[in-house]
Amino acid sequence: MNIKKPSFALLMLLVVGLWAVPSIATEQHEDPTEALVREIAKTLRCAVCQNQSIYESNSDLAKDMLSVIRTKVAAGEPESAIRDYFFQRYGDYIYLEPTAQGGNRLLWIGPFIALILGALALFSALKKWQPSQSRPPEVDKDAFRNRLKSEMDKID
Amino acid sequence: MKNLWKVILLSVVVIILVLFALGLENDPRNIPSPLVGRPAPLFSAPALDDGPPIVMESFRGRWLLVNFWGSWCGSCVREHSYLIELARKTAKRNDFVMIGVDFKDTKEGGRSFLASLGNPGYRHVFDPDQKVAIDWGVYGAPETYLVDPTGIVRYKQVGPLYDGWFEQIALPIMEKKP
Repeated sequence: MNIKKPSFALLMLLVVGLWAVPSIATEQHEDPTEALVREIAKTLRCAVCQNQSIYESNSDLAKDMLSVIRTKVAAGEPESAIRDYFFQRYGDYIYLEPTAQGGNRLLWIGPFIALILGALALFSALKKWQPSQSRPPEVDKDAFRNRLKSEMDKID
Repeated sequence: MKNLWKVILLSVVVIILVLFALGLENDPRNIPSPLVGRPAPLFSAPALDDGPPIVMESFRGRWLLVNFWGSWCGSCVREHSYLIELARKTAKRNDFVMIGVDFKDTKEGGRSFLASLGNPGYRHVFDPDQKVAIDWGVYGAPETYLVDPTGIVRYKQVGPLYDGWFEQIALPIMEKKP
């Protein structure tokens, strides 16, 4: 056991060291322009890779689009102008999240309309399924008795 | 009431099926260009031949065909013989001019492409970081724009031009608008 002690101490040192790593990593401060570049690039869709943002994509086009954004941010263009620049060229395909404008509004409202319609349908169906409590089925007691009697007579 | 729900349910199913059928026709790779019908982005950009920069506005008053290509693009090889033929065929028209934009390419790559496949004779913009291409909303190659004499984009062809493209697509547009 004694022989193992130094190696155990070394291991503990390593573990403690690993704990310290993230605190060193977070000490790097991001350039505010880069933060804005990332914010914009994350909302724009890479035109050649279906469902990845410009920021996440490794395609050449996305990288060059990112550098266009970087240049524009550095030039002091507002975020809306930069987003609009790409919109003017690639249409609303470029937005990862569809804008709530024009025909797109249907995409936003549609699910809620469907939900309301579904609730109405369920409500009316439930009403129908409930046993009607108004009145128990009326039985003509005399007719029943007569019928029973005649059936019994037949058996006899 | 019961029938009403049946009608609603049926129409919802029909609407979904119709939308689905329409969607099947769509190519997700084909992004419609919002530039059609709007002014073409202007540029003044370096040329592949190291000559004076190519200035977009200098083509005002003529129909302009802008072909985006790169030596890395397979379909551009397929398209190239038609571009040579088209340039030869339209050489005598003084209302029509063609230019190329060699994007995301090296100068050597672009030049050897033209040297080995033949030079159609018109000039090419050299756009290594695809600034011009992005400005025009290009996302692949080849892509070709037809710009009218007033500088409005009239048509965008995604993918290679083909035999008879000029007569089938470009001429009718050019003859409709003076």
